[in-house]
Amino acid sequence: MNRRDFLKIAGMAGIGLSVPAEIKAILEVKEETQPPDLIVAKGKSAEVITRAAIDAIGGIRRFISRGDIVVIKPNMAWDRVPEQAANTNPDVVATVTKLCFEAGAKKVKVFDRPVNDPRRCYIQSGIAQAVRSLGADADFVDDRKFRVMKMKGEAMKEWPLYIEIFEADKVINIPVAKHHSLAKLTMSMKNWMGIMGGERNQIHQKLDRSLVDLSMVVKPTLTVLDAVRVLTANGPQGGNLADVQRLDTVIVSMDQVAVDSYGATLFGMKGSDLGYVKIAADYGIGKMDLEKVRIRKLNI
Amino acid sequence: MQNLRRTSQAVFLLLFFFLFIQTESKGADELGYPVKLFLDFDPLIFITTFLSAHTVPKAFYLSLIIIIATIILGRVFCGWICPLGTLNNIIGAFKRKKQGDVSLNWYRIKYYILIFLLASSVFTMQLTGILDPLALLIRSFSVSVYPLFNYGLRAAFDAVYDMNPKGLVQVSETIYTFLKKSVMSFQQPHFNQSVFIGMLFFLILGLNLYQTRFWCRNLCPLGALLGLLSRYSILKRTVSEGCTECGACAHVCQGNASPDKKGYWRPTECLYCWNCDDICPQNAVNFGFSAGDKKKSVSVDGIDLGRRHVIASAAGGMLAVPLLRVNPFYQSTVISSKLLRPPGALAEDEFLKRCVKCSECMKVCITNGLQPTFLEAGLEGIWSPMLVPKIGYCEFRCTLCGQVCPTGAIKKLPLEEKMQVKLGLAMIDKSRCLPYSHATPCIVCEEVCPTPKKAIWFEKNLVKDREGRETIIQQPRVDLLLCVGCGICETKCPVKSQPAIYVTNIGESRSEKNRLLLS
Repeated sequence: MNRRDFLKIAGMAGIGLSVPAEIKAILEVKEETQPPDLIVAKGKSAEVITRAAIDAIGGIRRFISRGDIVVIKPNMAWDRVPEQAANTNPDVVATVTKLCFEAGAKKVKVFDRPVNDPRRCYIQSGIAQAVRSLGADADFVDDRKFRVMKMKGEAMKEWPLYIEIFEADKVINIPVAKHHSLAKLTMSMKNWMGIMGGERNQIHQKLDRSLVDLSMVVKPTLTVLDAVRVLTANGPQGGNLADVQRLDTVIVSMDQVAVDSYGATLFGMKGSDLGYVKIAADYGIGKMDLEKVRIRKLNI
Repeated sequence: MQNLRRTSQAVFLLLFFFLFIQTESKGADELGYPVKLFLDFDPLIFITTFLSAHTVPKAFYLSLIIIIATIILGRVFCGWICPLGTLNNIIGAFKRKKQGDVSLNWYRIKYYILIFLLASSVFTMQLTGILDPLALLIRSFSVSVYPLFNYGLRAAFDAVYDMNPKGLVQVSETIYTFLKKSVMSFQQPHFNQSVFIGMLFFLILGLNLYQTRFWCRNLCPLGALLGLLSRYSILKRTVSEGCTECGACAHVCQGNASPDKKGYWRPTECLYCWNCDDICPQNAVNFGFSAGDKKKSVSVDGIDLGRRHVIASAAGGMLAVPLLRVNPFYQSTVISSKLLRPPGALAEDEFLKRCVKCSECMKVCITNGLQPTFLEAGLEGIWSPMLVPKIGYCEFRCTLCGQVCPTGAIKKLPLEEKMQVKLGLAMIDKSRCLPYSHATPCIVCEEVCPTPKKAIWFEKNLVKDREGRETIIQQPRVDLLLCVGCGICETKCPVKSQPAIYVTNIGESRSEKNRLLLS
């Protein structure tokens, strides 16, 4: 988000707060006709459910305009193949890439700062080949493009973050849902670790706070949570197929906290079981309480 | 003929560089090119490995082609193919021409070196790699020249990028992107001993300014071997009656073949560069298959190495074996607990019988973790590969080092098997570990542990901080049965200066002696 966007939103929020109650009610009525807040799509084909979910939340054109430069941030941090569910499903990433181009995106950039060797992660995840064949860039992270950002967070005061995220017109986060020994689950908010430079593994010392600090700086246009295959143990990189469970599900929302809160339910947890979801909700970054989220479920 | 030779040299040098640059992962499980091809054709490595280990990989039978070619054609390999020879040739061209500099008659030294190496390999010690021209060249490039080349380019382009002069960055970045995709490495390589190995290489190149192809004439053991084989080659040089012994050919001879004396020629020292033929003002020199023509054939100078020198070199090679092995290292592994060999490496004694220190494995290692040893494996094992997890770990699903090893010192393992190989075991230094010593959460070693069922697990314990507040914290423990010693925990440990978890070679699969667990 650039400064102008921020001022615009801040200004609108100010207007929103100052309108009299009656008008607010009228606005709420109008909202009813708006698409739901969160879509849960279930079905055999990853491509079909990804498409359907994005259509149901208003269609890709609601988010991507002609000429946009779009950053797609999958999780491809590990030298693992798609069946092992440590990285985002390549079909889901490819489908979103395709949709962006259909909406007229000028450029789609797909990247991650992996933990294992970047070359192997990009190729073994299947993501680089899939998106390159569609005309997207799958370049490796360039060390020179990290800028130290002031964050004013509880845990992080400043950190080098990847500049391309902030230079893009639109950002789509496509994490995969999986087990993590400290965060319990890693989904959308934790996926922002992939844009951190420096000695990022220090954030485990105050993980929940750090993830919230990050999510205050990075505001995605859309979040697509891949739960086609999920990793239930030995995360976040897995390796044992017995730990992989097929859920054939994709969750889409503009609210990353709601996505993570709903994601928790896939593993038999609640959003409030996850420290970072709770704190993020307290800060008003998004909604944890799923009662207050308008959810639509699709079975395809 | 000169142009034809130069073309051939250029083609093989470019092929060498191409294969060298391809010795790098692109993310797939295989490289897609036969990057060790030059080594496969090396008869010296073939023979010495066969003598020391009594077995060689099948690919080495390709070197029989060089042997047969040399028996028929002489040392054409040296003059027309060898990439180090070509580099020597190029540097030699910058030599200021002086009279009388060809009188240096040290050409016998290389035969003594060869005899030394052959003798030690008969007694199971493989020292060839230190001086074999192809192993030396690949090692020098991998460890020293290529990192230097990359560092220079990166520094230059980064400087332009940082200064950001108007318009120039777009141009420079376009060039940079192209170079990164073609000739540059994926990441800046760093190697221990790059200075030492590089200096030796530049010394060899520099000697050309003293005498063209100094290395090829006087030192190269492969040249010596091919020289011996070319003793009775059919392709012979003849000089007709027109020769006035003007001596023009003596100055352009790339070997010590003594071309300027009529009826006297050393085929073992001739590199078949054809320079004498090209330069002869009388057009009196001729190369041809003239074995049958007894009249014209010259009296060939058999190389007189001197019996005493030969015996001394052979004895030296023999004595080197016990000398280098009277070393506590061979009795215990205590001295070099940090000697982690690449996955698939044979047991240490068998490994050293084969390793020719060519650095192919270090060049291809995806994390730069494989480094040349100095004395960790004794003097015998100098420049052999060793994993240094503080620099880089062994990527769990990577099998490249075994794929590029020319001699089978590192076995080529299928992925499933490789993932079972233990390089050693990780242990935790509790006094430095954040969750143990400082009541601070940290799960990095467990998170990165690549085994399907993680070898690092947590014990949840109640700890107190300075204020006496109690929290439950996850403290890492290593399951020695599952740990493969890949070292990623050590590489990624946030306690960077001296990691709180580290790998030593205890428990390595390849060793019968270095076991830990009763099983």
